[in-house]
Amino acid sequence: MAPLDTGAASNLFSVGAERLALLGKHHKALMQGYLDGFIDEAAFSESALKKLIAARILWRPDEQQPLALRPLVSELIASMVADENRRQINADVAEKLEQIRNRVQAYRDAQYKGDYSVAELQLQRLTEHVHDLSGQFEEAIDSLWHRLNSDFGFVASLDDKIRENERAQKQLRRLLDGLDLLDFNELIELSEGNNQLRKLLVSQLQHQLSSHHSSLLEVQKRLVELLARFRQQQARSMLITNMAAFLRQHPKYQPADYPNRSDVPLLFNQAAAIQPQAAIALDKASERQILAELVRALPRAAVINLPDQQSASFAAVMEDEEIAARQQALKTDVENFYLRVIDKAGPVSALEYLVEQQLSWDSEIWLYQIIAEYQALPQDEKHMFAIKRDEVPASAVNSLLLIRDISLSLQAA
Amino acid sequence: MLQHGPLLERLLAGDFICQVSDEDAFRHLSQEQTLQDINHYLRPLNRRLVSNDDNSVYFLAYHELNKAAREQLSSQFALTVQSLLPLLEWLQLVQETLGRDSALTAGDTIKLQEFVLRTEDNQSLRQRLNQLASDRFFNSQSDALDNQVKLIFRRLKEHGYLLQPHSDRQYYIVTGKIDYLIDVIRFIRDEEHLPVDDTPTQQAML
Repeated sequence: MAPLDTGAASNLFSVGAERLALLGKHHKALMQGYLDGFIDEAAFSESALKKLIAARILWRPDEQQPLALRPLVSELIASMVADENRRQINADVAEKLEQIRNRVQAYRDAQYKGDYSVAELQLQRLTEHVHDLSGQFEEAIDSLWHRLNSDFGFVASLDDKIRENERAQKQLRRLLDGLDLLDFNELIELSEGNNQLRKLLVSQLQHQLSSHHSSLLEVQKRLVELLARFRQQQARSMLITNMAAFLRQHPKYQPADYPNRSDVPLLFNQAAAIQPQAAIALDKASERQILAELVRALPRAAVINLPDQQSASFAAVMEDEEIAARQQALKTDVENFYLRVIDKAGPVSALEYLVEQQLSWDSEIWLYQIIAEYQALPQDEKHMFAIKRDEVPASAVNSLLLIRDISLSLQAA
Repeated sequence: MLQHGPLLERLLAGDFICQVSDEDAFRHLSQEQTLQDINHYLRPLNRRLVSNDDNSVYFLAYHELNKAAREQLSSQFALTVQSLLPLLEWLQLVQETLGRDSALTAGDTIKLQEFVLRTEDNQSLRQRLNQLASDRFFNSQSDALDNQVKLIFRRLKEHGYLLQPHSDRQYYIVTGKIDYLIDVIRFIRDEEHLPVDDTPTQQAML
């Protein structure tokens, strides 16, 4: 590369780096300016303002206007934060194509002259242009998808959404028109006889652009669908509002008697409900087994044998006497059990005793009464007996302990 | 046919089947063969399966209109007409209260608590809700906002316009029956040439 170029490049480097640093140095105030639409000059020192204007970051659009960010800077921020209200789409392809053509020509000229360092530089620039072109579409497509996926949520009302959608569709058409400008036959011709050019302009660019093209078509399809949905919603809202207003204004309004027309509209032909009922059938022998299991699975009510009741008041008295008598019998049997424990030296199982004595008590009630009796003993007598519960968990997953049996023994004093 | 048992029961019970109320059943119903099978089964019951114009909701209609069927349809129709205004007002009220930019559609979710909170602080919404709750379609006897709202939503659930996915959680999903309601309104408007617009004029669009 020529020494002059190096000097210019290093100057470019230092100026660019310095100006980029300006952006970072004033990032908060500049971002505030982006949001407000103008710059608060009091937030900067005089010299800082001068530097920012010189760096083409800020400008004064008009004598009377306050300072503002230059459009390119605003655009950069909008693209960085995907702010769809301000993001710009650049659909200008013709200009880019022109640049590409010029660079190819310059590259070929330099090669022809044998000036390889210049040719190298031109190729480098050409690569940048090609990437720019592809990047421009990529940015636009990203912005379109972003808007689509947020259902145009960055604007509040349905009307605005419809307008934004229409704007996006116009942008999309411009992008597609731009893509149409690209003539691959021309690009093939441009890269004729040069492998590097062919790779850059034909295989790479073509591949990228065809994928952009299909993305754009997909976005277009979705935009049209979404617009149809927006319009449908809009129509529905209006119908609701206007119909409600009409009905309020005409409280006596009665539509025609559609159900009694000869041809009833489908919407009003709404059949009455039928609730299917079913009962157990006993006619299939093969199903007896299942039915029996079902019956067995029914939760069983505790069986209490009461005599036939004749009248409510009579039964109530009977019940009391009956229960009291049974209660007393139970108590006596339990006392006998305790006496047996005292008689016998070793532990006595409650259930075994129940079976042995052929008592008719339900085992659960029996165990319960024994525990109750034990609890009712005076403190010092309680010490005389050792009570041992035979417990098992209710199931593998339920650690509730169920008492299976109780054994009682006389405790050595 | 056995696999469609639960679906048939729902249809016979007068339920509207849409994508929200029963996604699987709805998918089955959009198949021509299933449709035929079900209609074949329903024939002796004097029922047939029908749907609204854009096939977003299915329900049962009479096959032949005998006298009893006509009577049923007449009383059904009277109820529908009576419920139009309260339902429309409810739709408007929900849209305004929740600050939505479009009318409710099938699949939209409404949180009861949010609705109550927003109504509470706004005198005019509160008053409109009060009036709506006392309409005979909802028929609320209570003065308490919370009870009124709960009653309104429960009644709408009973009528099939709302679905409550968890009975202990107070949020509701709008079902496809709302599409049916809109179709009914559109039908009446078209048939009776009512001066009720649903397309924005060019002026409004600009």
